[in-house]
Amino acid sequence: MNWRRFVQRQKADAEQREELDFYLDVTTEEYIERGMDPAAAREGAQRKLGNTTLIREEVYRMNTLTFAEGVLRDLRHALRMVRLNPAFSAAAILTLALGIGPNTAMFSVFSAILIRPLPYPGSDALVTVANRLVISGQVFEDAELSPAMYVACKENARAFESFGVWTVGTATVTGLGDPEQLVTVTATEGVLPALGIPARIGRWFSREDDTPGTPETVILSYGYCQRKFGGDPGAIGRTVLVNFIPRQVVGVMPPGFRVANVSPDIILSQRFPVSGVPEEFGYAGVGRLKPGVTVALANQDVARVWKAWGETAGTSRMLALLQVQPNLRPLKKDVVGDIGSLLTLLMGALGLVLLLVCANVTNLVLVRAQSRQQEFAIRTALGAGWSRIAREILIESLTLGAMGGAFGLAVAYAGLRVLVTHGPANLPRLAEISLDGWSLAFVLACSVGASLLFGLAAVLRCGRPGRMEMARGATRGAGQLRMQNAFVVMQVALAFVLLVASGLMIRSFIAMRAVRPGFTHPEWIQTVRISIPEALAAKPEQVIRIQSEILSRLSAIPGVAAAGFGNGLPLEPEYHNGILIAVEGKTSPDQMPPNRAFNGMSPGLLAAQGTRLMAGRDFTWDDVFGQRRVALISENMAREYWGDGASALGKRIRFGRDGAWNEVVGVTEDVSADGVNRPAPATVYAHIGGRRGMTLAIRSERAGTEGFLRDVAAQIHAVNPNLPLARVRTLNDVYRQSMAQTSFALVLLAIAGAMALTLAIVGVYGVLAYAVARRRHEVGIRLALGAEPKALKWQFVRRGLLLNCIGGIIGLALALGLSRWIASLLFGLTPLDPLTYVAAAALIALAVTAGSYIPARQAASVDPVEMLRTE
Amino acid sequence: MVQGTLDMLILQTLVLGPAHGQTIAHAIERGSEEVLQVEHGSLYPALHRLQNRGWIAAFWGTSENNRKAKYYRLTPEGKRQLAAQTSRWEQVVRAIGRILNPIAESQG
Repeated sequence: MNWRRFVQRQKADAEQREELDFYLDVTTEEYIERGMDPAAAREGAQRKLGNTTLIREEVYRMNTLTFAEGVLRDLRHALRMVRLNPAFSAAAILTLALGIGPNTAMFSVFSAILIRPLPYPGSDALVTVANRLVISGQVFEDAELSPAMYVACKENARAFESFGVWTVGTATVTGLGDPEQLVTVTATEGVLPALGIPARIGRWFSREDDTPGTPETVILSYGYCQRKFGGDPGAIGRTVLVNFIPRQVVGVMPPGFRVANVSPDIILSQRFPVSGVPEEFGYAGVGRLKPGVTVALANQDVARVWKAWGETAGTSRMLALLQVQPNLRPLKKDVVGDIGSLLTLLMGALGLVLLLVCANVTNLVLVRAQSRQQEFAIRTALGAGWSRIAREILIESLTLGAMGGAFGLAVAYAGLRVLVTHGPANLPRLAEISLDGWSLAFVLACSVGASLLFGLAAVLRCGRPGRMEMARGATRGAGQLRMQNAFVVMQVALAFVLLVASGLMIRSFIAMRAVRPGFTHPEWIQTVRISIPEALAAKPEQVIRIQSEILSRLSAIPGVAAAGFGNGLPLEPEYHNGILIAVEGKTSPDQMPPNRAFNGMSPGLLAAQGTRLMAGRDFTWDDVFGQRRVALISENMAREYWGDGASALGKRIRFGRDGAWNEVVGVTEDVSADGVNRPAPATVYAHIGGRRGMTLAIRSERAGTEGFLRDVAAQIHAVNPNLPLARVRTLNDVYRQSMAQTSFALVLLAIAGAMALTLAIVGVYGVLAYAVARRRHEVGIRLALGAEPKALKWQFVRRGLLLNCIGGIIGLALALGLSRWIASLLFGLTPLDPLTYVAAAALIALAVTAGSYIPARQAASVDPVEMLRTE
Repeated sequence: MVQGTLDMLILQTLVLGPAHGQTIAHAIERGSEEVLQVEHGSLYPALHRLQNRGWIAAFWGTSENNRKAKYYRLTPEGKRQLAAQTSRWEQVVRAIGRILNPIAESQG
């Protein structure tokens, strides 16, 4: 038997019919010619041919596959049932879609971020090369490399196929239309070969590109090349002015190329001068391991390299002091970060919702199967075997499941679109998230799994041999109700868990909003980042002149309350560059002083941010131009050393173990520089020292409006038309982004919680409504005998509440057991927050009461006369 | 008609050239001088079966009286099958003949 014939069996039958008709016609004609009258001739021909239907059936059977034919028939039947019971079908399909959709979306996120390998060939061999080191007791697990370490490792390490270091930064590009500030990756020669993605056109960097004295080179991203050169392969060899230095384009990377988590616009070659490089641990190392080399072996290899380097370069003392140890790890771990626990939690929460959905749909299907007992009984009587009926029920379930899955896929697609455009920017690999083959497999597994679950439940309930008897007018057993009661209890329990989870997130979010972050009205703070290139101002004093001129122009814009700038603003990465700070009389000169957050800032920044001055004064321009040795510190640092803010005034601190002393002239409010969910770091402020990169903060109620931005740009460009503006946003955007992970979890858990609550209400309602419908008779008789409607009502409500209580207790146990999973996401409260538990319990009790009241009222409103008359 | 011989007779009829169902039935009946009566209830399924096996092929043509008719023709595979079946049939007939009529066997 073959499938082609099976597919074409309808056509074959039509042909057969035509062939038989032809036979009849020809034979009839023949008989007429022999002298029979037409009617008799036709009859004779028909007799000669025999039963045409039988012939056609026999041929048809030759062409068909009995099982497939049966399945197809059941499928058609199932589709007809879906159409004929729109209310039931819509309820089941929508419920399934709402269960499967979010799960699929979350699974796609999960698989794109955690499961899928990084988009590099052989990405398992990629490692981050970093060190673990200890500064005054504080352990840093991912300290980056210094240039000398890079050179040592490059020359002596044997574990790597290729190895290099890179940094992220920004650069000004001029000469191609408006000046632009671009995201750059500055990489040594080994980085691109390690990542292993060939250039689209042109080449990677060569050893010459890394060597000082040769022409400077640049590699473009696909997007930037498209934007500026229209994707022209002729871009190779062109010259681009990067930070006013001409660089020759040697290559263009393919679309979507990223270095770990960074999508650079341009890639610059990193060249270290032969001598006089400051030993900063500021370069991220990346390497591709040789085949067969494990991370542990590579760690040993690098440890050997450090030891040899310490001896030859005389850095052994530093290595010992900082307890430097290589800490290599898979690159993927760095890219993904700590998002895994959040995603697992959300995946788990949505998985619970899917369970709820299954329970609900099972209930629906069971009730419907029950109402079809009569139909099944008749069919059994007509000779249908139980396997035949079981197959039909299963195929109906699978049809519902498939349709639910299809809608779920649509929900997932829409959800992912929203997520990718509006999702938290700090979600790693956001751009890689999509519905792929795995997502489709997941949808399929969910749909089939769910359908089998509720299909089998229905089969066990009514399709089993021997079960058929039940339909013959006998009263139905209590078994069905027990099963449904169990479902309701489970739903209430799961809903309780999810409500507690979303309640905890909501309370965390409120707690975060309540934190005084050290700035006020972030929506009024306009930020703009600019960088003054060396070609414009060679000396630090010139840089300061330009900066102060910009500031005074900005302050003159109407509606500006205050303006200032700093190396970075709170929540920006530039802000928490740490510096070792020694305190006179408090830190011992023999020991490494503690690392403190550090920010350089202009006079007026505190006012622009709305940061309160707790004691002393702000910087003045006299401090800046007079190069006075003064500093501000945060209140928490002042408390740490002197007990309160005011006592810190007049004390002296210095940067590093030696250097000049600076007098503390002011104490500021604590600023949550790392995000409102982290404790505010102890911070030291110096006045601007001629650093080129700075973020302006301009306080105005017009912040963020187009007109205001135009005014700001005009004033900055009046000072120099070649200054590009970057990170133009309000601090509120930054502020919101710092809470993005929490609000992301909050929104998803709230959705899960709301769905769970709705499903639980529907579940309770469904079961009680069914119980009421079944007991209309009994209720009618009891009413006729004088029962109080109120008492009857209470009887049903009480059942709902009983189920709720059992569910609630199970849910409480579950929630307590699972609470530690959510602990890391909470802020300002414990995972056992009593208020949340009480609120969740109250909410669910209220919902269940409402869900059971309606059917109870229906029961009490049964008209006994009406009821008994139909008897 | 003897079981299994219908297929062979159909194939034999088609040796002379393509024909439609009615012609095939007629040819068998006339060729056997009306001894063999073709049951149409089995003719058409047989045609379909032979077609599925690839021994005959069908095509739509125009009949003598200008009507659309389904014609069958022998395929090379069908020719081979016919030869094999005919020789096996003759063997069987000879064997049966030997048992029924040992003397006249040579004329069988």
